[in-house]
Amino acid sequence: MDAFRLLELLILVAVLVGFVGLLLSRNLFLKVLAMDVMGSAVVALFVLVAARSGLQSPILTAPLAPGAVAAPVPMADPIPQAVILTAIVIGLSIQALLLVVITRLARIDPSLDLASFDAGRLDRGGRR
Amino acid sequence: MAPLTGQTLLIGWLLLPYAAAFLAALLPPLARWLALVCCLATGAVAVAIQAGVLPASLSLLGPYGVELQPDGLAAPFLLLDALVCGAVVLDGWRRTLPGPFLLLLMVLHGGLASAFVAVDLVSLYVTLEVVGIAAFLLILASRSERTLWLSLRYLLIGNTVMTLYLVGAAVVYLTQGSFRLEAVAGAGAAALALLLVGLLTKAGLFLSGLWLPRTHAEAPAEVSALLSGVVVAAGVVPLLRLSSVVPALAAVLPLIGVASAGLGLLFALAEADAKRLLAWSTLSQMGLVVLAPAAGGLYALGHGLAKAALFLVARRFPGRDLAGWAGRPLAAGVWVPLWIGSLSIVGVPPLLGFFAKSGLDRALPGPMGLLLSLLTVGTAAVYARLWGAPLLAEAPASPAAAMTPPEPAWSPGVLLLLLALVLLGATEATRTWSPALLPAAAKAALVLAAGVGLHRLLQPLRRRPWFRLPDLEGFPDLVGGIGVVGAGLLVWIR
Repeated sequence: MDAFRLLELLILVAVLVGFVGLLLSRNLFLKVLAMDVMGSAVVALFVLVAARSGLQSPILTAPLAPGAVAAPVPMADPIPQAVILTAIVIGLSIQALLLVVITRLARIDPSLDLASFDAGRLDRGGRR
Repeated sequence: MAPLTGQTLLIGWLLLPYAAAFLAALLPPLARWLALVCCLATGAVAVAIQAGVLPASLSLLGPYGVELQPDGLAAPFLLLDALVCGAVVLDGWRRTLPGPFLLLLMVLHGGLASAFVAVDLVSLYVTLEVVGIAAFLLILASRSERTLWLSLRYLLIGNTVMTLYLVGAAVVYLTQGSFRLEAVAGAGAAALALLLVGLLTKAGLFLSGLWLPRTHAEAPAEVSALLSGVVVAAGVVPLLRLSSVVPALAAVLPLIGVASAGLGLLFALAEADAKRLLAWSTLSQMGLVVLAPAAGGLYALGHGLAKAALFLVARRFPGRDLAGWAGRPLAAGVWVPLWIGSLSIVGVPPLLGFFAKSGLDRALPGPMGLLLSLLTVGTAAVYARLWGAPLLAEAPASPAAAMTPPEPAWSPGVLLLLLALVLLGATEATRTWSPALLPAAAKAALVLAAGVGLHRLLQPLRRRPWFRLPDLEGFPDLVGGIGVVGAGLLVWIR
């Protein structure tokens, strides 16, 4: 198994761990944290995809002296990096919004237990 | 100065809602007009697309850039976006709306418009997240404790599935070197399953859409109208686009649609609350939208307009409990929209819903058409429960009404939606007129009668409940539903 496959597998395990955490943890804060674990794993996956072709950042350096030839360095793929930069920003803002809501929910139940909010069975049909 | 081409017009139109939202933050008194201008622009673009005067596809910033396709598939959804957002603006014209409501509405409107025309996986991701965040903030805008938890749940679920979607997009890029939708066909089953989990959840389909009923029922009425009318369509459009380029999906999607329609119908028939009944019906109708990509746009338009009108009048229901529904008379401004909206969803002739349904019927092969009729009988039985309420003879002259400025008896937004249902129905009638529509009309009448009969049969059962449907709407159920759908797709898709 080469390093790429191994890292890919580890990242997918991290995504799965985050999903299971979201399913099983009873604390809302931990749920949001579990979602963040998934998000970080996806960031790692895109960085890994970008690093397939090389590790050097694809950035132009200062112009070479005339006549000199640049050594061909394997460059990283800039497309997945650009994509994941957008996704990181979106993920960050969603994380911030969720944490704001959680601080307000903490005034209702400081222990942030899921059961105290998810009481659909008690008031079916919805009070307002 | 550059000449005004179709491309610059389209880019200007896509940027307009965001610029308007920014301007509305600086000049709040202009907000209503700005929102209305955005809706008018989108409506004009939808008409221009139908007339064929705009470029059907444009590609920005080179081969890895943004791909937009304002084509015939997007046109009905854009029109839906324009009409529903416009109706919500008009509905709240005389009322003071909570804080940044209109600003968020413009952002939501712009996000939806972009989501309907985007055809690469990354632009879709960004637009769906914009729509998700704007909808989250709109639910939150009413600032009650109940919506606090609902909005958290909505964004948490939405972002989780979009994370899975991103994993799918990464696999597509890894194997195909492109983020185009066409590339998904060659990327393998795992990538497709992950992308589908994201889109199915956003579209509110089957088990992954179980978040939908409670969110749509508990949100404030005008937000419910937006959510049920257009926001779910943001997930449907990419699904329809994908199913026309990925053969594996075209085989799976109708089955998911039928399952979703059946599930929603079952729960709507057993529901005891009027707004939740409407929400379950959305889940069911979205299943019908994805049955056939060719007819899905018109069906989504018909359903979205009617459902938005129903949710907008739900604010004026005297009570939400369906048990005493027949004993509470409704004012004419509620009663008439309730009938017209629900009759359109059931598919009764001259309304738009009838033409949408007969279009869907034509696009489906034989046995599926029969199934559609059976599902429509169920839909008629669902809405027959709302038809029990009598019309209020005259408005009671209550002294309390003089204290607060009286609301107009007819909401202008609801009127706009009803007018659209009737006029678009008439346009469809002249466009697709053929003698084959007469048997379809007879069939619609038969289906309606069967639905009312089914409603009469079920009514005694509701008084003595002999079994209860399981409650599938707890948070673990939602995440579990997403997991089950994802795992099922992984195993199923070949």
